[in-house]
Amino acid sequence: MIDCDVHNQWPSAEVLLPYLDPPFRDFLARGELPGPPGSLPHAHRPWLHPEGFRRTDVPAPEEGDTDDHYEALRTQLLDRYELEYAVLTGEEAIEVSTLANGRYATALARAYNDWLVADWLPRDARLRGSLVVAPQDPHGAAEEIRRLGGHPGIVQVLVSTGAQRPYGDPFYVPIWEAAGELGLPVAAHLGGQGGINANPTGCGPPTFFWETHSLLAETGMGHVASVIAHGIFERFPGMHFVLIECGVAWLPALLWRLDADYKALRKETPWLTRLPSEYAREHIRLTTQPLEQPAEQHHLEAVLEAIHGQETLLFASDYPHWDFDDPTTIRLPEAWRADVFAENARTLYGLAASRLEAAATTG
Amino acid sequence: MRGRFRVCRADDLPPGERLVVDLGGRSVGVFNVAGRFYALHNRCPHRGGPLCLGPLTGLTRATADFDYAYGDEGRIVRCAWHGWEFEIESGRAVIDPRVRAKTFPVEIENGDVVVRIGDA
Repeated sequence: MIDCDVHNQWPSAEVLLPYLDPPFRDFLARGELPGPPGSLPHAHRPWLHPEGFRRTDVPAPEEGDTDDHYEALRTQLLDRYELEYAVLTGEEAIEVSTLANGRYATALARAYNDWLVADWLPRDARLRGSLVVAPQDPHGAAEEIRRLGGHPGIVQVLVSTGAQRPYGDPFYVPIWEAAGELGLPVAAHLGGQGGINANPTGCGPPTFFWETHSLLAETGMGHVASVIAHGIFERFPGMHFVLIECGVAWLPALLWRLDADYKALRKETPWLTRLPSEYAREHIRLTTQPLEQPAEQHHLEAVLEAIHGQETLLFASDYPHWDFDDPTTIRLPEAWRADVFAENARTLYGLAASRLEAAATTG
Repeated sequence: MRGRFRVCRADDLPPGERLVVDLGGRSVGVFNVAGRFYALHNRCPHRGGPLCLGPLTGLTRATADFDYAYGDEGRIVRCAWHGWEFEIESGRAVIDPRVRAKTFPVEIENGDVVVRIGDA
């Protein structure tokens, strides 16, 4: 089993200090922070979780803590579910996308990536990393992808879904070019709602956290439409765009609408050679969590069938968050399990069969 | 209904113009595209809209570097309802050449535009 959204914690953002360039080490060590000592510089969203983000059976970092709680992650996730691989997505690192100072954001992302490679990846052969970049600084992001994207433990480039503009916009071409050179997918994880980024809900701010949480998939829809319309997959034919933690059941309706509108107004995007839904099937992958849970399971299955879920979905638990999906209880068609729980991610990220799996296969 | 239908004098349908006429109970668009005459069934294969009443346009294509290139002015009709583009000469939808509006042969006889429907 491969889990495509696992959050590696840090005891404090101060772990980044040794990895920061001197001017930004000065910023982080001496500058204003959005929370208590140890918080990461970022602009917070205006919706505050009324309970906190972590499962309450997972140890949370406390002030003065030096533990990043790898042991909890190992026992509660890696060992318990016998994962082959866990793709780490950081905890707060993608929130650097909210900062107005793009150079500071890139410096923080670089420091996170160096810390990830130095402190997390060597610890367990099952761990793989996502290279966080600051999308508001596309050239800095591209430089970072070229600097560290070739590391064998890095499997994708990661940004937040919260963004100044949708990711197909030509503003981001340097990021796609660099990711394409390195052969890395670009992933967007739910987050980055605040600061310089666009309001994530189109009709104005919702009021409550749970109300908002359900609506944040809107940003995912915008990115899907944008990367298809701008021809990202024509420019970079081997590219994949991965949407993490945006849910999945809305995708068929969006693709049906995109196909219909594209047929009428093809002339706006003459670089496309296929229907939007065809690009999506080949180039867009979605992680399953939080998988929608209709009362009637066949409703979900019909929807997932419409987006060729057996090929396009990647299992994710979102450990250790409050909306964690347990791989033993989420409901997916039985015939899809091998692909959704491992093979799609293995192909996407070029992951070898682990020794455990290889031994099982060869008997 | 099959038959040979005289539509108009060729001189009365100059380049860039079209006529939509009833030919034996079938609505047909007759087009003069740069001096050549074509006829299309005035029924869009997408949703049955009045294809031949839509705007006559050119075609926007992409350049190799993802820019726009516009050409073939007057060779495209966009359906009056949903805007699907069709190549007048072939009746093929630009979006999917497998989708075709029905075409009819057109001949010029003694200066008349004649549309042939069926085997007549």
